[in-house]
Amino acid sequence: MSKFAKVGSVRRSWDTAIIGLLLLVWVFASLTTSNFLTPLNFSYIFSNTSEIMIIAFAMLFMIILGEIDLSVASILALGSSMLGWSYAKGAPIWMAILICILVGTACGFVNGFLVTKLGLGSLAVTIGTLALYRGIANGLLGENTVNEFPEFWTSFGFDTIGKSFMPKTLPLIIFFGILFGLLLHKTPFGRRTLAIGQSPEAAKFAGINVVRHKMIVFTFTGFMSGVAGVIYTFRFSTAQADNGVGLELLVISAILLGGVSIFGGIGTMWGVVAGVLLAGSVESWLTLQEINAQWRTIVTGILLLISVAAPVLVQKGKARRERKALKS
Amino acid sequence: MNFLTKLRPSSRESSLFIILIVAVGGTGLINPRFLTGDGTRDLLTSTSVVALLAIGIAPIVVMRHIDLSIASTVGLSAWVVADFCAKNPSFTWVQCFVIGSIIGLAVGILNGLLVAGLRLPSLVVTLGTLYIVRGLVYVVSNSVDYNAQEMPESLLALGQKVYFGLLPFTFLMVIIAMILMALFMKYTKSGRDAYAIGSNPPAADLVGLKVFRRTFLAFVFSGVMAGIAGVFYLMRFAQVDSTAFYGQELAVVAAVVIGGVTIMGGSGTVVGAVIGALLVQTIQGGLAALGVDAFWKAAINGLLLIIAIYADRVLAVRNEKQLLAQRIRERI
Repeated sequence: MSKFAKVGSVRRSWDTAIIGLLLLVWVFASLTTSNFLTPLNFSYIFSNTSEIMIIAFAMLFMIILGEIDLSVASILALGSSMLGWSYAKGAPIWMAILICILVGTACGFVNGFLVTKLGLGSLAVTIGTLALYRGIANGLLGENTVNEFPEFWTSFGFDTIGKSFMPKTLPLIIFFGILFGLLLHKTPFGRRTLAIGQSPEAAKFAGINVVRHKMIVFTFTGFMSGVAGVIYTFRFSTAQADNGVGLELLVISAILLGGVSIFGGIGTMWGVVAGVLLAGSVESWLTLQEINAQWRTIVTGILLLISVAAPVLVQKGKARRERKALKS
Repeated sequence: MNFLTKLRPSSRESSLFIILIVAVGGTGLINPRFLTGDGTRDLLTSTSVVALLAIGIAPIVVMRHIDLSIASTVGLSAWVVADFCAKNPSFTWVQCFVIGSIIGLAVGILNGLLVAGLRLPSLVVTLGTLYIVRGLVYVVSNSVDYNAQEMPESLLALGQKVYFGLLPFTFLMVIIAMILMALFMKYTKSGRDAYAIGSNPPAADLVGLKVFRRTFLAFVFSGVMAGIAGVFYLMRFAQVDSTAFYGQELAVVAAVVIGGVTIMGGSGTVVGAVIGALLVQTIQGGLAALGVDAFWKAAINGLLLIIAIYADRVLAVRNEKQLLAQRIRERI
C-alpha cells in the first residue's frame, strides 16, 4: 500500500512538473525566437494539436483503465473517408458529419466488444483494428481524395474567431476538456475508472461492472476519434484514406508526457492538457527555429522515452536516498 | 491422456501447417502459376524479410514484451548499408551483412537497456525508439535514395540466387535461423527461461531467473535480426529511400500472433511464427489472384489478426478446461 502511495506522490509531482516544464519551454522558446509568443503562433499551436487533444481526452480514460486503443488514428481516417465519400455521393453535409461521428462510435464499440465480451487483449485487438479500419478506408476511397467542402465548414476547421487568436475549434475543445475533466475528477464514473486501473480484481469485487465500464470507455473513445475525424477533414479540407497516419502514437506520447501511468490507475486531466501543449509547443519551436522537419520525429521519440523514464528514475533515486538515510 | 497433453504444443504448428497448405492449394486452384517453382520462389522471396523479423521478435513476445522498433531498424540498416556501399564500391555482401548487424545491434542494445535495465514497459520504449530510429533515417538520408547501380553486384547476385529452382538464398537463411532458434528455445536453459518469464514475470523474478540478462539479450537478438532483415530488404528491392519498410512492424506482429505466439506471453514457437508469416503472404497472394483490390490488403491483414487472436483465446480457454478436468479426475 505504501508503495502505491509513493508512486502516486511521484506522479502527482510529475503532473505539476510538466506544467512547470511547459512554462519553461514557453519562456525558453520566446527568448530564443522572436515570434514564438505571438497570438498567431499560439493559434497555430492550438489548431495543430486539436485532433490530438480531442482524442487524448478519451484516451486518458483508456490508459487509466490499463487498456490501450491503437486504432484511434484509423478510426479518424475511416470517419473522415466516410464523411468525404458520403458527401461526394450527394449526402447533405450535416448528414456526412453525423455519419463520420457515428462510424467512429461504432468502431469504438467494436473494439470494446472484442476486448470485453470476447476477452481479447486490447493491445493486440487494436493493432488488428488499426489495420482493419484503415484498410476499409483504403478500400472505400482508394487513392481518391475529396476536397470540395462547404466554405462554412472549412472555415470552422481552419479560421480563427473574428480577429482573435482563438481557432474556431477551440470552444469545442474546451467544452470537451471540461466535460471529460469533470467526468474523471468529479463523478463516480471517474472514480471507478481510477479504481479499475489500480486493480481490476478489487474493483470487480467492490461491485463495479468492469465490463460495462470498459465498454463505455471504448465506445466514447471511438466517438471522440470520429469528432477528431470531422475536425481533421475540415482543417485540411481533405478526406482521404491516409489521413492522420501515426497519430495514435502522438496521442499516447502526449498522454504519457502528461504523467499518466502506462500501468493504469493514475492520471489527471490537467496533466494531459499540459502534455499535449508541451509536445505542440516543442514542435512549434522547432518549426520557428527552422530546424529540419526530420528532427521532429526524433524529438517526439525522445520526449516519449523521457516521459516514461523520468517518473521511474525519480522513484528509484528517492528509494536509494531513503535506503541511505536508513543506513546512517 | 498424458500423451495427448504432451502432443498439444506441436499440434498447434501442425494445424497451422495444414491451414497453410490449404491456402496454398486454394490459391493454386485459382492461379495455377502459384504452385509452380516460380510461384513458390516469389512467395518465399517476398516472405523472407517478415519471416526473419518474426523469428527475431518471437522470443520477445514469448517473454510478454513487444518490439515495435524493428521496421524502423530495417529502414535504417537498409539505407546505411546502401550508403556505405555507394561510397565504397569495393564492398561485397560480407561487409553489407556486418554493417547491417552492427546497426541492428546498436538499436537492440538501446532497447534492451531501457526495457530490461530500467524495467520500463517495452511497448512505450520501442514506440519511442521507433520514432527515434525512423527520425535518424530521415536525418541521415536527407532525401537521398539509392538504386541497384550503387549496390554491390555480389549482394544483388546473392539476392537472385535460387537453390533447386524454388528456394531463394534469403529464405534458406530464414530456415537455418528458424531451426537454430527453435532448438535454442526448446532445449537450452535460456530458451526455457523465456517461457517461464513470459508465463509469470513476477514469479520468474522470485525464483531467481536471470530476467535482466534474458530480456536484454532477447532485445539485442531482435535488433540484430532487424539489421540483417534490412540487408534482405536491399537484396529483394535493390533500392531504398527514407520511408523503406515504414509502418510494417504491425504486419510482423500480426504474422507472429497468427503463428500462434500468444501476445500475453508464455507460449508459441519460432516455427509457428515463420508459418504465420508464410500464411499471411499466401492469403494476400490468393486474394490478389481472386482479383481483390490491393487497397483492401490492410483490412484483410487486420481481420486475419483479429481472427487469430480470437482462435488463440478459444483454444486457451478449452485447454484450461481440459487441464482442470484432468486434474479433478486425477484427484478422484
